[in-house]
Amino acid sequence: MAELTQNEKRLLEKLAEKNKADVQQFADELDATPEAVVQWGLLGKDHGLADVLRGVKKILEYTEEGRNYLENGLPETQILNAIGNGTTLSDLQKHPAFRIGFGQLRKKDLITVTEGRVTKVSGASTEKDESALKNRDNNNPLTKDLIKRGLLQETEKVEYTLSITEAGILKVKQGLDLRGETGTLTRDQIISGEWKNLNLRKYEVRKLPRKAFPGKIHPYQRIIAEMREILLDMGFTELYGSIVQQSYWNFDALFQPQDHPAREMQDTFYLGETLPLPEGYERVKAMHESGGGTSSTGWGGSWKESKAEQCVLRTHTTSLSIQHLAENPNPPVKAFCIGRVYRRETIDTTHLAEFEQLEGIVMDEGVHFGNLLGILREFYHRMGFEGVRFKPSYYPYTEPSLDAEVYIDGIGWIEMGGAGVFREEVTAPFGIQYPVLAWGLGVSRIAMLRLGLKDLRHLHRSDVAFLRDTPAYRRSQGGA
Amino acid sequence: MAIISLPYRYLERLTRTDRKTILEKIALIGSDVERVEEDHADVEFFPDRPDLFSPEGVARAMRGFLGIESGLPSYPVSASGISFSVDPALADIRPVLGAAVIRGVSFDDESIQCIMALQESLHWAVGRGRSKVAIGIHDLDTVKPPFHYIASRRSRKFIPLDFTGKMSLDEILEKHPKGRDYAKIVKDFPLFPLIVDDDDHVLSFPPIINGERTRVTIDTKNILLDTTGTDKRAVGVAVNIICTAMAESGARIESVEINGVQTPTLAPAERTVNVRECSALLGIDLTASSMAALLEKMRFGAQPEGTDLLNVKVPCYRADIMHDWDIFEDVAIAYGYENLQAMPPATFTVGKPNPVQTYANIARDIFCGLGYLEVMPFTLTNEDILFNRMRRPEVPGVLHVLHPISIENTVVRTDLLPLLLEFLALNRHRELPQRLFTVGDVVERCATHQQAAGLSTHPDADFSEAYACADAVLHELSISYTVNESEDPAFIEGRRADIMVDGKTAGVFGEIHPAVLNAFELEHSVAAFELDLRAVPGYPAL
Repeated sequence: MAELTQNEKRLLEKLAEKNKADVQQFADELDATPEAVVQWGLLGKDHGLADVLRGVKKILEYTEEGRNYLENGLPETQILNAIGNGTTLSDLQKHPAFRIGFGQLRKKDLITVTEGRVTKVSGASTEKDESALKNRDNNNPLTKDLIKRGLLQETEKVEYTLSITEAGILKVKQGLDLRGETGTLTRDQIISGEWKNLNLRKYEVRKLPRKAFPGKIHPYQRIIAEMREILLDMGFTELYGSIVQQSYWNFDALFQPQDHPAREMQDTFYLGETLPLPEGYERVKAMHESGGGTSSTGWGGSWKESKAEQCVLRTHTTSLSIQHLAENPNPPVKAFCIGRVYRRETIDTTHLAEFEQLEGIVMDEGVHFGNLLGILREFYHRMGFEGVRFKPSYYPYTEPSLDAEVYIDGIGWIEMGGAGVFREEVTAPFGIQYPVLAWGLGVSRIAMLRLGLKDLRHLHRSDVAFLRDTPAYRRSQGGA
Repeated sequence: MAIISLPYRYLERLTRTDRKTILEKIALIGSDVERVEEDHADVEFFPDRPDLFSPEGVARAMRGFLGIESGLPSYPVSASGISFSVDPALADIRPVLGAAVIRGVSFDDESIQCIMALQESLHWAVGRGRSKVAIGIHDLDTVKPPFHYIASRRSRKFIPLDFTGKMSLDEILEKHPKGRDYAKIVKDFPLFPLIVDDDDHVLSFPPIINGERTRVTIDTKNILLDTTGTDKRAVGVAVNIICTAMAESGARIESVEINGVQTPTLAPAERTVNVRECSALLGIDLTASSMAALLEKMRFGAQPEGTDLLNVKVPCYRADIMHDWDIFEDVAIAYGYENLQAMPPATFTVGKPNPVQTYANIARDIFCGLGYLEVMPFTLTNEDILFNRMRRPEVPGVLHVLHPISIENTVVRTDLLPLLLEFLALNRHRELPQRLFTVGDVVERCATHQQAAGLSTHPDADFSEAYACADAVLHELSISYTVNESEDPAFIEGRRADIMVDGKTAGVFGEIHPAVLNAFELEHSVAAFELDLRAVPGYPAL
């Protein structure tokens, strides 16, 4: 049995004395409100020591008129008194209580009226009515009439009766420690040794705790951090760069033709700003126009500097990868970036205009398409996805290209990311001699699976309750 | 992405096998099966393979992939004897013309729909919404050759498709649904492109609409194909794809003379590729003959030239083959991605974190230690949140996106605190205290850097709480700082301070101004702090 509170014990003591009584009595004696006493009684009940009986009692209360008659007598009493040994009807009519009083006396056959004179019948008395008014007893048959006359009214009152159980009596007999309880230990009590004499309050440990909300990392950021750790473990260098990019690095350097639909205003966020083209841009221009001396035909047509100078919000982090390769053309290069990218999408539950993309590149002598599959499988395995498969795909700046699919229990195969080998048209203008394996994936896709999100916007416009409720660690199953 | 409807009966007849076999393997040539219905499947193909945008093209590829037939398909072309003149005045308007005669057509309900759908898919994928290429097909037997591609006055009238009365070219742009859709391609030219026959009947007003006269129906037996545009290669590809698809369905292709040249030839392009280069790129062992066999499966012609070289004949409908590697990808597809050996590269490298992200993570740790909860607001926001509600003047160099999706997302954030305040507004109904932080990118003109910001709201939030939090973060990041009285109007005067590092303002903290609280509809005081992480010693210059 859980420990009793001090108040519970005090109540039990009183209960043992009285055995059973109305809550008000205990309230008076314990100097507490009846509500508090009921609470203590209920605690006692939980412990099997007391009983709390809730009763509804009908009580009779005076109306204003009833209270008036209680003081001055019922109208019939007043009239009866006014009659005395007999009087005339016309005199009697002057009495303020005449109308009600006279009627009542007639109804009760207490008077007779003969030729204008009013006399009492023998033994006429309203004593019984007066007493019914005074005593307000539901069992008195006259009470009903008083209620009907609007002198009394019936109301309901909830009453609690407390009683002690056998177990309670036993508990009191065993003796209750009624010493005052100590809540928080003070410094003095600890140092002086006074704590030895204290009755330390015991807590109900099964009660729910007060909520504490720890400061913590966003669940989405946790997933980003996990991926970052995996890639650092796999020997990749982390990249960071501007979210504002020239079209040159975002598109042209990646051999995206200048009339490609993805470059149109409805798909990409363009900015008013322009930046001058970097040195050596002519090689990119030549590649677009004629294949720049490789086995490629190029796109043909004429490549316009002005289009390449326009700034955009980066549509992928590949713009950083290619700049990193241009600055580091010698093998080996292994780099990754997790960063926000922008697409001019209509925002809904599964599409955002900005989202995190993870991208990795490997450039080295002798690396091949099979290595790309190997890296991807390793990465997805480390993310917890056991089943990984690949199928042909198309990306404008990779050849060959693939899509990776992972198997998730209960869902099946789902597409997780795209990859490929950078086209020679991408690498040749920057003097990159060896194949560049590249892959990317939408981080939010994994977040949706892991966090069971129905709406991607909740990652960024989150309900604080969602963030507080989402545990920092959850055992992942099959990556999801 | 193009989603192509493949009616089973027609597809089975063309492929010469059952639908189950086809659908099982179709993803392996590069597609996604979107829907499998009772009588057809909807399959998505990639935009680089417009030759797969029809059941005829898919059947051709699948016959090779499934081993039903292999090698280069042959498309004989005879001369039709019909010629087509091109008006030199079109040079600056829409100069390129491609054409062909297709005879012995036998349409049914399914095949006529497929050819119309192919035309539309090509308009999208190759034609860039008809601006680069527009295709017209006509009942040849309703008109009289030779044909003339002319630059016409805009008042010229004819009956456009789906209308009963004559309309001028200008009227068509205004009133015909297709005219309204595509007017922007031609409307600025003084003269409009027009195709007429020798009796001056209008066949087509490219790239807008055909004439009603030459409407193709299920009874059409002979077709004239016209393809106009601005790019010779793209026009050629569109002609080749339509002609070869029609040839696959059993029609005969005849060439037309344009400027003295017979077109189309439907002849393959030739490339000599290196077997070892392909082996090295894919990571598989290939010989000239094994590679040739794989390419034949993908419907290329391939002939070994010695041990290392392969002469490859590229089918005329393959628009995507620009480079040798494009051919190598087909080798990989034929080999099967599932058969490739997935093996990480052997070179040893050591992972290297970027200091910017490392500092951001340290800042996150400190905020968490102080009991702050991380949030990740969007980077796109608007001037009202960033400036108006904050009582701050618009900073010079704020980046406006040229074509925002909505008034909510017009600029890239320059600060984080306004977004945190917006966040509080979203969470007014949640339990207090709320202590939130964020670390992330902000822009200053075209440059990006990271900032960190935190705020705390509860009835007792005040300047000293903001100061304590700021001091803790600054201390933990080893930033030596002093404070100055701030003039930031987002904060209460006398309860705000600038963080000074090396004589420059690197951040601000204090109690948010009640007018700002009102603007965000917040009810409790807010202690806030924002720091430019470039103040961290050793922060890299971008």
